[in-house]
Amino acid sequence: MTDIGFLATARRELRRLTSRRIYLCTMIFVPLAVTLFFVSLLGEGLPLKIPSAVVDLDHSTMSRGVTRSLNSTELIDVTQKLESYTDALESVRRGEIFGFFVIPANFEADALGGRTPTLEYFSNMTFFVPGTLAYKGFKTVAVGTAGTMVKTTLVSAGADPENVGALIQPLNLDIHPIGNPWTNYSIYLSPSFCSGLLALMIMLVTCFAITAEIKYGTSVEWLATARGRISVALAGKLLPHFVIWWVVTMCVLSILFGYCHFPLNGSLPALLVAATMFVVASLAMAVLFCCIVPNPRLSLILSALIGILSFSLAAFSFPVQSMYGFIAILSYLLPVRYFFLIYCNVALNGADVWYSRYYYLALAVFPFVACLGLSRLKKACLNPVYVP
Amino acid sequence: MKKIFDSINIWISSVGRAFAREWSLVLKDIGVLLFFLALPLLYPIAYTLIYNPEVVDRLPVAVVDNSRTAKSREFIRQASAAPAISIYGYADDLAEARRWVHGGDVYGVIVIPRDYARDLGSGQQATVEFYADMSLLLRYRALLSALTELQIKITGDVTMSRVEQAGAAGMISMPINSSSHFLGDTEQGFASFIMPGIVILILQQSMLLGVTFIGGTSRERRRRNGGIDALRPDDMPVSATIWGRTLCYTVFYIPMTLYVVKVIPEIFNLPHYGSAVDYLPFILPMLIATAFLGQALTWFIKERETPFLIVVFTSVVFLFLSGLTWPRYAMGPIWYWVGNLVPATWGIEGFIRINSNAATLAESSRPFIAMWILCAIYFVAAWGVDAAIRRRGRRQAATVAADS
Repeated sequence: MTDIGFLATARRELRRLTSRRIYLCTMIFVPLAVTLFFVSLLGEGLPLKIPSAVVDLDHSTMSRGVTRSLNSTELIDVTQKLESYTDALESVRRGEIFGFFVIPANFEADALGGRTPTLEYFSNMTFFVPGTLAYKGFKTVAVGTAGTMVKTTLVSAGADPENVGALIQPLNLDIHPIGNPWTNYSIYLSPSFCSGLLALMIMLVTCFAITAEIKYGTSVEWLATARGRISVALAGKLLPHFVIWWVVTMCVLSILFGYCHFPLNGSLPALLVAATMFVVASLAMAVLFCCIVPNPRLSLILSALIGILSFSLAAFSFPVQSMYGFIAILSYLLPVRYFFLIYCNVALNGADVWYSRYYYLALAVFPFVACLGLSRLKKACLNPVYVP
Repeated sequence: MKKIFDSINIWISSVGRAFAREWSLVLKDIGVLLFFLALPLLYPIAYTLIYNPEVVDRLPVAVVDNSRTAKSREFIRQASAAPAISIYGYADDLAEARRWVHGGDVYGVIVIPRDYARDLGSGQQATVEFYADMSLLLRYRALLSALTELQIKITGDVTMSRVEQAGAAGMISMPINSSSHFLGDTEQGFASFIMPGIVILILQQSMLLGVTFIGGTSRERRRRNGGIDALRPDDMPVSATIWGRTLCYTVFYIPMTLYVVKVIPEIFNLPHYGSAVDYLPFILPMLIATAFLGQALTWFIKERETPFLIVVFTSVVFLFLSGLTWPRYAMGPIWYWVGNLVPATWGIEGFIRINSNAATLAESSRPFIAMWILCAIYFVAAWGVDAAIRRRGRRQAATVAADS
């Protein structure tokens, strides 16, 4: 077997990687630190006890009861008791509360007298999560208060107290959130955002490492080590990168699914294969960028632009199906999109791997696409010109 | 006395010279202009285009109807009338519906029990089951709230007829009504919620990238030229240099700020209830604090290209620390305090209240003051970093001189 310089190139890259602290920092420290950041920030999974206010204009036994039931729900924390709608609105603007509940004057008298008073509640939707949760808490209490009134009336009219519950709640909704029955935010956000971050860092560091050869004029020697073949040069250079990123990705997955016990309802090997292919596809993306613009600044800008936009484009929060068509199509150019879809299918829904076959196929295509531009990169490496 | 005035005079003219020098450096460097101009100009447009469809509707849902009665069909009819729900089809059983979920054809399954109509008619409680795909919370929430509305409606109708049958005289409707109001983002649109925060973060991050980019380039030049950066010589006091540069970046960002906080919401019709008299002065300390922070971070940036590796990813972290997606009251003390140190945390919080809730500057005094405190902290940090970089340069220059 003739030596094609593959191992020599890999050894050379390993020396380069260990000679600079920035590689250690961005390849190992950043991904792991950000993963720990996500799981510890979102630790509880739901931001309960939302700071809220009650505007009680009635000051009756019944209105105090409503305030108590608000405070006893897990979603609401009545931090302020205010005297007017204007005060409450000002509190919202100051950022002290995320919503408020208004009990009208004469509430008790009207309710008992059959004049149907109206409970009003206001949720501040400029902060989506606390806004919607406050809304949910307020609504539960408002509907519950009405239900209790009906119950009391019925019982006093002679209805059987045992049956009255079913009588006033004829329809019950039983919700089964598949794979995440706690509607835990961390389970929803951490895996997707951690993989988005991995893709971003893989693309940035790889572009940095490849184009640094051009910047410092070492690319000629790099190619020479690989006997002048760009494919061998890249394969040798990226082997140590792949190994490091693969280990880091496995560490991230073990933090999520091992240490944090995130749901993994499907096959673990399928997820690990997908993660491996995802790392390779992200490396391939970076190579593609370097082929398109063999210049440090431009290739890094491309990585940063696409890496940061992927957090939105890969539709971790706003669905692709609802985006404009010309935007949605971009989503399918991103490796992280396919990894996210496989994660949802395999880990959350516990679906058979067969359902994700096209996503695996798509991940496999990326390395081949990257090969198309290699001659361009080779040309740039033979005559390295640094454009600052 | 005259001496003091003279030195103040010299200091101010140094600030002016540092400003002019930095200004021409910025204009000559295409890389910096990309961060300072292109990024704040184009990113808000890209993000709004992604999120502008605002609401999630017509989500395909499967039905497993085990009741097959007029009442169950009525339920399905009412469900499909909700904008969020579109009935994909009737599945024979839960197993078939599950295959549809796995294949990505539907995002939820409504299961109506066999005894649905009988229970509703006979004063019992009927339970409708709903299985929801949890890959995106936005979809789950849209479906859940549509079904909850439907439940409340059916409950109201059925309860009143039951109450009549039970013979509770005098009760012709529910004894208490309730009405819900949304403040700020009244349509609950996704772009309307996220964009006001994103644009502020874009201001901070693009400036941080640009400033560290200039700083890294300068340090690289200094290293190659034996400890001296000819384009940014150390001929003025550290404090004057830092202030001059900071003013340069801040002035550059005033039109950018106007664009992202005023023009973008107008173009895309996002909520903008606040008054410019409130939000423009409010953003000022954020720009200044960010300019100082960028100069302080230059300590970690030794090369022109390293800001990409060190600054870009922080956008994701800062977005979460700001409380835009995950409220700050629910954070642990450590992350809460780390968040306090990021200018955009306060900038986003205050700007959203001004922009979407029509708060005044006085009502946003807490974040406003916090950002001025950050200005002071990061001024000191930037001062220390610049002094240290100069010291290193002098040391390198001395060794170069000794060698030759």
